Amino acid sequence: MANRFCVSLTHAKDNPDKATVGFVIANAAVGSGKETLVFLSVEGVRLAQKGYADDVREEGFTPLRELIENFAKAGGTIFVCSPCFKKRKLDEHNLVASAAIVGGAKLVEFLSEGSPCVSY
Amino acid sequence: MSPDPSDRRDADREWDAGELGCGKLLVELRFRLEGMAPGQELKLIAFDAGARADIPAWCRMTGHTLMTQQHPVYRIRRKES
Repeated sequence: MANRFCVSLTHAKDNPDKATVGFVIANAAVGSGKETLVFLSVEGVRLAQKGYADDVREEGFTPLRELIENFAKAGGTIFVCSPCFKKRKLDEHNLVASAAIVGGAKLVEFLSEGSPCVSY
Repeated sequence: MSPDPSDRRDADREWDAGELGCGKLLVELRFRLEGMAPGQELKLIAFDAGARADIPAWCRMTGHTLMTQQHPVYRIRRKES
């Protein structure tokens, strides 16, 4: 059984349901002792900005800000797609905890070493 | 990464990649290393924020050696084969 888990997340407020569920699953993985990566790309990179997710509260789910904070506290890692981030002119000095701006090589390396990946 | 004594000599080649990042940067980097002799060193300048994490990962995967890293300057030694 792989000891790693990846959640690829391409949505933010354009689909708060998917953004929330992505982090719910990521919390489940990190809570299960997996080395867990959330890869944010396309619109999902907005979730890496402090304060952005503060008003995302999907009915029946924990608020997104709390999910992201808990994920980081539990040791999860967040990779943020560099070209997606740059395209949206976001602030690399205002990242949430555990987030790092990366290019494709970091994702390729993580997955190539053996990891399932689920996409939202 | 601590400075390496070999960094004191000139690199065999230098490439200023500017703002290139992610896949475009890595494919171009591959082509340039393939055009060099084993053991030669490339001084890469890459300003993309993702390069900090990507260049070390790329070197680990491809077998080239990252001699020094001081963003945006990276020094890479081409692998032997």
